[in-house]
Amino acid sequence: MRLLNRVSQWLDARLQLREPVTKVLEHPIPRKSASWFYVFGSAALTIFMLQVVTGVLLALLYVPSAADAWNGLQSMNHQVAAGWFIRALHGWGSNFMLAVVVIHMVQVFLFGAYKFPRELTWILGVFLLLVTLGMAFTGQVLRFDQDAYWGLGIGASISSRIPGVGGALVKLLLGGPIIAGATLSRFFALHVFVVPGLLIGFVALHLLLVIKLGINDWPMPGRVVRRSTYLQEYKELTHRDGMPFVPAGVGKDIIFSGAILLAIVACAFFLGPFGPGGQPDPTIIQTAPRPDFFFLWLYALLSFLPPAYETPFLLIGPAIGLIVLLVLPFVAGEGEKSWKRRPIAVLMVMLLAGVFGSLTQLGLHTPWSPVMDAWSGEPIPANFLVHRTPLERQGALVFQAKQCHTCHALEDRGGQRGPPLDAVAVRLTPDQLIRQVIQGGGNMPAYGKSLSPAETTALVAFMGTLHPPGQAPARDASQTVLYGKEP
Amino acid sequence: MRLEVTKRSGNVRLLLLGLALVLAGCERGRAPGQPSEKVEVADPRQVVDFATLYATNCAGCHGVRGEGGASIGLASRGYLAVAPDAAIREAISRGRPRTAMPAFGRSAGGLLSDAQVDALVKGIRAWAPDGLETSPDAPSYLATGPGDPARGEHVFREQCGSCHRPDGRGQASVGSIVDGAYLDLVTDQYLRTTIIAGREDLGSPGWRGVIGKPLSAQDVSDTVAWLAAQRQQIPGQPYPAARLTVNKP
Repeated sequence: MRLLNRVSQWLDARLQLREPVTKVLEHPIPRKSASWFYVFGSAALTIFMLQVVTGVLLALLYVPSAADAWNGLQSMNHQVAAGWFIRALHGWGSNFMLAVVVIHMVQVFLFGAYKFPRELTWILGVFLLLVTLGMAFTGQVLRFDQDAYWGLGIGASISSRIPGVGGALVKLLLGGPIIAGATLSRFFALHVFVVPGLLIGFVALHLLLVIKLGINDWPMPGRVVRRSTYLQEYKELTHRDGMPFVPAGVGKDIIFSGAILLAIVACAFFLGPFGPGGQPDPTIIQTAPRPDFFFLWLYALLSFLPPAYETPFLLIGPAIGLIVLLVLPFVAGEGEKSWKRRPIAVLMVMLLAGVFGSLTQLGLHTPWSPVMDAWSGEPIPANFLVHRTPLERQGALVFQAKQCHTCHALEDRGGQRGPPLDAVAVRLTPDQLIRQVIQGGGNMPAYGKSLSPAETTALVAFMGTLHPPGQAPARDASQTVLYGKEP
Repeated sequence: MRLEVTKRSGNVRLLLLGLALVLAGCERGRAPGQPSEKVEVADPRQVVDFATLYATNCAGCHGVRGEGGASIGLASRGYLAVAPDAAIREAISRGRPRTAMPAFGRSAGGLLSDAQVDALVKGIRAWAPDGLETSPDAPSYLATGPGDPARGEHVFREQCGSCHRPDGRGQASVGSIVDGAYLDLVTDQYLRTTIIAGREDLGSPGWRGVIGKPLSAQDVSDTVAWLAAQRQQIPGQPYPAARLTVNKP
């Protein structure tokens, strides 16, 4: 013990860190700020450290070559002892980190912590969000499977639309005009050196500012921030009703960070690693690639945008969003901090949560995407085939063979791109069905050229049976007049 | 002091419970999240597992377990007893032209390799119940010669008329089997296979018939010839011209 003391004294005589470190640890915080709402920043930092450790372990084994990466991941999953668990920890850590960062940002916004004098802390936080998203994207690429391959293609295609520099940017990202050998090395360098370097730098500055300016005081309705008086008020508050960060304030941070780590371990243990999915081979066409959870909203948005709006949305939208985030602390740097007195702020958060939540939900279900193998893999429900004539059965066969099922659902099975056809006979008369099938319309292609008259007749005969038992099919009243009876 | 002891033993109990939960999650020494030995997402071109291939390529028309659906049931005894492997392989890889059966073989523009087609043939054959043998009296799968439509009409009336009506126009849900559009969508071989194999799912008996007198190979050929003769020159017209002229005001 005495030896330890002497060593530390010897070290401190030279480093002289004891005093500043103690000062930092014991810096006063407002008593009310030691709250369960103020634990997300430290949790993000803790997860980042987990990511660094697991990331280093993965980098020891990862082969950044387009030819070997996928096989390398497979052997990490199956051959390397606990390799799957390290992959799972890193993958779940990434999801948790993004989630915690977003929650942290929402909390900071709602508690007015971005206001004077913490504008720069907020701006660095915005950069940290971007860099974390960058880590998530480059990480998704390193899990080199079909999703990674096509996700990268979409990322490159988005970059290529930037006027002037698009082409050069794609070349810089991919190491050439296409995804090839050089691409993965570049993303490996980005994910392992460049982006983490930025992340560490921003985190250091962010933390420095938190210590220099003090943790945000608990927002009280009516306690208004003014540039002229705030610093003095904050100093008085920490003196009057403050306590040292260590040991009084740090307890909740430690407990929450520990709980988050346990949650990540549990997810990794019980749910396992992410992928790799199918081989990243563009000649495999039986694939429906999909981005990772945090980019699903973008996936859904891109799927719904009309082509003409894509470029403006992709290039101007993010720029506006970024500018709004960066300008926010200067425009709203003073005033009320409490969310109870900031209804527009609360509504904005709810609106954004609703928008991103709905888009993510849509991204999970992809109702716009045809189910490409429904025609051959999804049978027509048996009750639609009971007591059907030979012609109607042939119509059901045409329905499958011409891939109607790929876009139209029967009993909720099949594609959702077009309307479900369970009760189509109630909506359309046989003539209208013939017209719709042959000419298309309303987002449906015309099938006139790929259906023979006999096929059309059979198909329409089958669809004419698609009505609920108690409901008569639609009929054209003029037929009775013209023919005496219905055809 | 006592209190402290209870608290500690409570913690130990909690720890043991947690450990038990984790161990319960492990099956044969594996964590639940640990990826299984086989590659989870195989290259679809390399898959030769019958269940996967059948579910993605065939189930849509032939039923999830081969019980039939919009098209014939491949697992039916009647079909498996009459259709040779070569015919099944041919139908899968090259399709049945002029019917809804597309070509799945890569040589004919489909996505399945020869190995995959073989896996399907083998799997479909494996559905045959033990001891299923082709009866020596059964008509051959392929027609041996041309049929006689006039005789076929007679055979049809006698053998099929009780359900399909003597003229083939059917009744209620049995429906017309001489409908122009229907006959245009099926081939002679399809009619032949259906007559011989029957449709267990629809109550159609196959070549053994219902009147105690099985169909001979010639009977089948003749019936097919009569049905083929019912084909129309311009099938699938929703408004036959005749009816339009008759009822025009």
